[in-house]
Amino acid sequence: MTQNNKNATLLWSAVALGALGVLATYFVAGHARFWANWVLWFILMFTLGLGALFIVALEHLVSARWSVPIRRIPERIATLLLPAIPVGLIALCALPVLYPGSRPEAAHHPILAGKAFWLSLPFFSVRTLLAFGLCLLGLAVLVGGSLKQDTTKDPAFNFRARKFAPAFMAIFALVVTLIAFDWISGLTPEWYSDIFGVYVFAGAFLSGLAATTLSVLYLQERDRLEGVRGDHLYNLGAFLFAFTVFWSYIGFAQYMLMWYANFPDEVIYYKVRLAGSWRIITIALAAMHFILPFFALVTRAAKKDPRRLRRVAFLMLSAHILDMYWLIFPVLGGSPRFAWPELSFALFFLGGILLWLRGAMEKGEDMPTGDPFLREGLEFRL
Amino acid sequence: MSETSYSVLGIFETPNALMHAIPKVRAAKLGSVEAYTPYPIHGIDDALGLRRSPLGGMVLVMGILGALTAFGFQYWISAIDYPIITGGKPPDSWEAFIPIMFEVTVLFATFTAGLGMLFLLNKLPFFGHPVLSSKAITGITRDRYALAIEAEDEGFDSAAAAKALQDAGALEVEVLPAPDRSPFLTSDYILRTLGGIFAACLVAGVVMYTVTKWFPLLRPMVNMQDQPRLNAQKGSTFFKDGHGMQRPVAGTVARGYLPTATGTQEVAATLVNPLPRTKEVFAQGKQAYGNRCEVCHGALGNGLGSLTAAYGGKPANLQAKQFLDYPDGKIYWAIVNGKNAMPAQAADLTEAQRWAVVHYVRALQRAQNAKDEDLKVVAP
Repeated sequence: MTQNNKNATLLWSAVALGALGVLATYFVAGHARFWANWVLWFILMFTLGLGALFIVALEHLVSARWSVPIRRIPERIATLLLPAIPVGLIALCALPVLYPGSRPEAAHHPILAGKAFWLSLPFFSVRTLLAFGLCLLGLAVLVGGSLKQDTTKDPAFNFRARKFAPAFMAIFALVVTLIAFDWISGLTPEWYSDIFGVYVFAGAFLSGLAATTLSVLYLQERDRLEGVRGDHLYNLGAFLFAFTVFWSYIGFAQYMLMWYANFPDEVIYYKVRLAGSWRIITIALAAMHFILPFFALVTRAAKKDPRRLRRVAFLMLSAHILDMYWLIFPVLGGSPRFAWPELSFALFFLGGILLWLRGAMEKGEDMPTGDPFLREGLEFRL
Repeated sequence: MSETSYSVLGIFETPNALMHAIPKVRAAKLGSVEAYTPYPIHGIDDALGLRRSPLGGMVLVMGILGALTAFGFQYWISAIDYPIITGGKPPDSWEAFIPIMFEVTVLFATFTAGLGMLFLLNKLPFFGHPVLSSKAITGITRDRYALAIEAEDEGFDSAAAAKALQDAGALEVEVLPAPDRSPFLTSDYILRTLGGIFAACLVAGVVMYTVTKWFPLLRPMVNMQDQPRLNAQKGSTFFKDGHGMQRPVAGTVARGYLPTATGTQEVAATLVNPLPRTKEVFAQGKQAYGNRCEVCHGALGNGLGSLTAAYGGKPANLQAKQFLDYPDGKIYWAIVNGKNAMPAQAADLTEAQRWAVVHYVRALQRAQNAKDEDLKVVAP
């Protein structure tokens, strides 16, 4: 049995074991906890896929050449949106359990009653379906077109993608904002923050970048991305570095304004997250999402060093998971929960995501061989 | 000054020829090898074996220093030296320090990067780099690629260097003389410069003073100084008496504080309360009564206020027959002018407040002498 098959068996058993735990959670640990976990992993899958799609669109938008040889990697990661959509459709069942705006009591709530139509189950579902549809459109044009170009070698795709990319940026902003406001901010509908969509975008883009970096290093180790070198890695590292700072800038700006204004309906969000054990998680999040990666990547050599990059990318993915956990799990009340239900969900979904990505990495060419700019990208030097 | 040569330039026609020559020239170990090209060439840093620039480290250290400086300053000012509670926040709130810390970090880091690069690493006041005065410079800035072996110590052998460059394929070789490194920032120069700046400031100050003082036509920006208005405590030619400040016209009263009851109390008896008896007027009267009257006349108007209990004064019992029969105007007159030991309230109560108090006193009197028909239910 080869190492490859062993890994597959390992992943499948993790998924199977996780699935048992997931089922047990529903019947034993309570519906609220089940749905909180489900929404968490839906958001994680969705932001990962969307972040990767954003990288692809960004390349077309600015006509970047350096990233052409590694474009297939974010394209493959972006296909995670396909399994994320059914997971999200199932997550709609969480609305009456977790989301106060969809519960009948909302009609008697002075604030929620005013937003009743916006928060109601039908309109919420319509918005989510709209977001999914727009994602599929972006996926079809950018990723589907790129895959087709491998055989047709038709440069017309590059022009089409370049024209579509600006429109996709608007679509992306809409989708990420809808998902952030509805699915995450909607858990606490009395609380609102204008910048919240940008905050979630920063996390999504970072997770997409980290997954891309990890996959590039994984394929490079297996000699499958010939021509991709330190200069390409440097750009990925620089992106990671820049956006850890961006994330902290947005996160801190949101916190500081609310801290200064001290409005009860706003600070309650942080009050909950700075009480008891949540305080430790908040501090850990600042350390993992900003301080550690900032100093790990600050030097020029560190951004090219594969070992350093792999560790930081892994750290960023863990930090993104912690970030979304930190946003979603306080809805259950009390101190942070982490026990077998969370572990089973992690096994099930992480195993599933890895299986999906593994399958995606095996399919087709590792580089967009039909892209006329591939050669220029391979010759990229800093 | 002896004509020691500083460096030897070898000229190449293509970047590839240059790149191939670099390892050969470096292997000769005749001095430090430097390249001059019209545009950056990929991979030349590695080929020349350039050390990593120390600038990054300098910027990091200064950036951290900037953050600490900003934190220290703010902490010292807000928490130790002059602690003021602002917006209900503790004086040592780190959240409030972050924006300034961020800005000062960026300031220190960028200044270090810019100035450190120019002055420390590029040695800026040194303008005359020998390559700039070489014959080859017109080519180097256009389409030629130069490799230089530069002297590191006294024992620089320019002939050997020229040969090494020719062996490596240089088309032409040019020996450059040592640069004119006559001292630039001598103490004499610095002192003279500072003296010049000081003298210039002195002259400029004297000139400005003279011009503004003796030639007032040339005064700059007079609009703030000379305004067409009367200044307090200053003279003015506008009025006959030469004063800027004038007494108010005799009989002037402040708006809202009209002392209408100026005659005797008997004269004032005919005054009629101009205010309607509304809830708002009674509330206003109650408030004014509570502030100005209650302490002596008591909450019920029976002359048993807290001052009576404390000092044994004898304020009027407004519930007495004499005051029940008073017309409104006489009560108003007493409020405006005071009576016996009672001080005048004209300065403290506006006209509306006085009349509101009169209504309220009437209400107090009626409350203490209520009749049966007062109990009838009034529809809301």
